[in-house]
Amino acid sequence: MTRQDLIHKWLIYALGLVPVWLLDAYILPRFPLFGVAPMLLPAAAAAVAVLEGALAGTGFGLAVGLLWELAYPGGFGGLVLFMALAGMLIGALSQFALSQSTAGCLVCSAALLLVLDGLRIFRGLMKNTATLSSMLQVAVPEVLLSLLWTLPVWLLFRFIFSRVGGDKLA
Amino acid sequence: MKKFLRQNGLVLLIIAALLSVLIGVGAAFSKGNADPLSNAVNTLLSPVRNGVSAAVDWAEGVYTYVFRYGEIQDELDQLQSQVAQLEEQVRAGEEAIRENNQLRKLLGLQERRRDFVFEAAKVTGRSTSNWESTLTLSKGSSAGLALGNCVVSETGVLVGVVTELGDNWATVSSIINVDIEMGGLVSRTLSAGILEGDFDLMTQGKLKLNYLPTGAQLVSGDRVLTSGKGDVYPSGLAVGRVEGVFSDPSGQSRYAVVDPDVKLDSLIEVFVIKEFELVE
Repeated sequence: MTRQDLIHKWLIYALGLVPVWLLDAYILPRFPLFGVAPMLLPAAAAAVAVLEGALAGTGFGLAVGLLWELAYPGGFGGLVLFMALAGMLIGALSQFALSQSTAGCLVCSAALLLVLDGLRIFRGLMKNTATLSSMLQVAVPEVLLSLLWTLPVWLLFRFIFSRVGGDKLA
Repeated sequence: MKKFLRQNGLVLLIIAALLSVLIGVGAAFSKGNADPLSNAVNTLLSPVRNGVSAAVDWAEGVYTYVFRYGEIQDELDQLQSQVAQLEEQVRAGEEAIRENNQLRKLLGLQERRRDFVFEAAKVTGRSTSNWESTLTLSKGSSAGLALGNCVVSETGVLVGVVTELGDNWATVSSIINVDIEMGGLVSRTLSAGILEGDFDLMTQGKLKLNYLPTGAQLVSGDRVLTSGKGDVYPSGLAVGRVEGVFSDPSGQSRYAVVDPDVKLDSLIEVFVIKEFELVE
């Protein structure tokens, strides 16, 4: 694959991320379902990592983490490394242990969402800002709703993968 | 794994770690102002945010007009009767003001007044996380906004406080957010307390009026205002109404649950109080 092909491919993946980001940041928070809005960025990172593998998953995870830190309020930096590591692990898992399928993406996305909300709950308990039950009341519907949204996100990136993914442009 | 490392995987992870440190250090040293990277990105994204917000507002307006026309009509009827009642109250109030001014002159008292300098701003974004309650505004430090500025609705009801600031955008912690802490006062009994966000209550759209005096006799429906204690925030801004009074688990102090007057979901335009002067 030439450098130009590579740029072309990742530009299309980046374009695919734009509607996901717009929905996640500006549209879905206006219309919460069961009091919560879904998290779409972890689903996007998981979908690309499952489709493209560990290396590309790391790069896309890094980009998603950077977007999350810089374009959303209250960034503290940690999400860039976290999402890059998550992309690497999910990519490796889907290459060697799970299948590169819808089910594989759902499992990886669920795991990532659980870790993210698990860390938030842990931080909340450490800082004593809320009770476990009240945090679970937010975390559980958030993870379930995000998992529902994982499906369209997966379909979008699978469509992109079918056109430009892997070495198809080579 | 070897393949991953051979193909610059490790380099990517090192870049990610460096970026994390860079953003973390920037956030730690900026003390509420956005770090330079976030500021640059959010400033560039402002037109996108404003455009999407305007489009969603328009679509929501069309939806409301088409599918909730009956509700709007009912609301209009209610508002018209409310306006008639308020006009009556204004007429009575005007007489009271005249009498008040005469008495002040007789007693040689200085006139009480509140001078606010407002900056109007559009709400271009809402909490992207379910773990906090924030709003993003279309104006920032270039319009004279500063950290800690109070934000009110068009009816003067407290919306929140500016907690993160960029050149042409600002993040507002709404009054129900967990990081909110300011003096509050129950207007009927003049009982003072601390208005605090609480995660459990935030999910229900409410907040706490904490550390109430032991003898405070509050009833449901009592109006809560900002007390202005410490002169950091202006006094007399409407916050909400008392819903109930409870004792904390230790039994040491009592708190009131306050139902805010502001409807955070339907805010489109707000006013930032850039400066204020109170003469009591």
